[in-house]
Amino acid sequence: MLKPGDPAPPFDLPCAFDGKLSHLSLDGIRSEMVVLFFYPRDFSFICPTEVIGFHKAQPAFKTEHTSIVGVSADDAESHRRWAAELGGVSYPLLADAGGRLAQAYGVFDEKEQVAMRATFVLDRARTVAYCVASPINVGRSVSETLRIVRAIRSGRLCPADWEPGAEFGPADHKF
Amino acid sequence: MAAFKPDEKRRTFERLGNVREIVFGIQDGVLTTAGVLAGLSGAVSGRSQVILAALASTAAGALSMGAGAYLGTRAETQVLRNQLEQARRESERQPYIVQEELLAALAKEGLAREAGYRVVKLLSRAPDALFSTAEQKLYGLSDSTLGNPMMDGLLMGVAFLVGALVPLLPFVMIASVRGGLIAGIATTAIALFAVGYVFEGILAGERSPIAAGLRFLAIALGAAAIGYLVGLVISPIGAGSAG
Repeated sequence: MLKPGDPAPPFDLPCAFDGKLSHLSLDGIRSEMVVLFFYPRDFSFICPTEVIGFHKAQPAFKTEHTSIVGVSADDAESHRRWAAELGGVSYPLLADAGGRLAQAYGVFDEKEQVAMRATFVLDRARTVAYCVASPINVGRSVSETLRIVRAIRSGRLCPADWEPGAEFGPADHKF
Repeated sequence: MAAFKPDEKRRTFERLGNVREIVFGIQDGVLTTAGVLAGLSGAVSGRSQVILAALASTAAGALSMGAGAYLGTRAETQVLRNQLEQARRESERQPYIVQEELLAALAKEGLAREAGYRVVKLLSRAPDALFSTAEQKLYGLSDSTLGNPMMDGLLMGVAFLVGALVPLLPFVMIASVRGGLIAGIATTAIALFAVGYVFEGILAGERSPIAAGLRFLAIALGAAAIGYLVGLVISPIGAGSAG
């Protein structure tokens, strides 16, 4: 699995977005930051809580100049139908056929042939600023991802459980 | 073409679920009683004594087998029911785990993931339907898997009794001990063959019911013969220690 500071592997993959099939590349994303979250499968019962969670929180991420991109090994048509099943998803779902992108990020479960439940926050230089992986049966916290994005964008030393408006750490401390 | 009636089919399956008790009971009743008749005919001079001993053995065997089947099924049912209740409680706490597992099971059986998702989602509208389907698919358990202790005990006892009558009746009806014994052994062989022919041949749909009957007869008599040989081998030890 990649770690903070690693360059984010680029991608140019089919995707489903806004009810249509399209293509998306990392280079083509203009936002300051990117949340790239891998999930195991479309049409499952844990993933939708995350997919919907990111969908609901999308305006808040947008305020933070952050794009959200979901990725799984399903094809783009499956993503399109899955998004429709969920009532629409406001960000692109990438079709990572064969899990090559998941492999590049080091989050491919070879046994199950699916992506792990992993999240990467990419900074302006498209290096990994933050990453986390959950057990396959445990959904992630969307609000924690948003908190991390806000903390990274603050550019300051953020103590544990820091929230916007709370005190930063000493400005002259690096760690 | 006859209409397919699932209710009737279900009742048939439930009845067939007791084949084990019937076959076990008959086989044991036949062989135990034949063994008692054969053993005592050589050792006891009076024919009536042999018959009385065989009747006592039949009564004790039927009661013991019936009680054993009742207690065994009851214990098994209680253990399984407890496990099912635990699984149900876990399912209620984490339904999405059950949903995912059920989805995977349906996919493994050939249903497209998307279709399987819709099936599980529909089932999830009624938690009882979801959990009972999951119990059948994931654990191979259902209400019909849980035996009926009373029925199992009764069937086992009656089957033993019926089996015991097979060698006993000719022995009672024929005045000569030797003749009764030969007739009893003959009816024993016929009965064992018939059980194999009907249950393993006809009901199990085997291509050759006769082969099934012969196989059943060979196994049952083979086991009895081995038991007899073991008895012959160890009898000198008993004779030596008695002195």
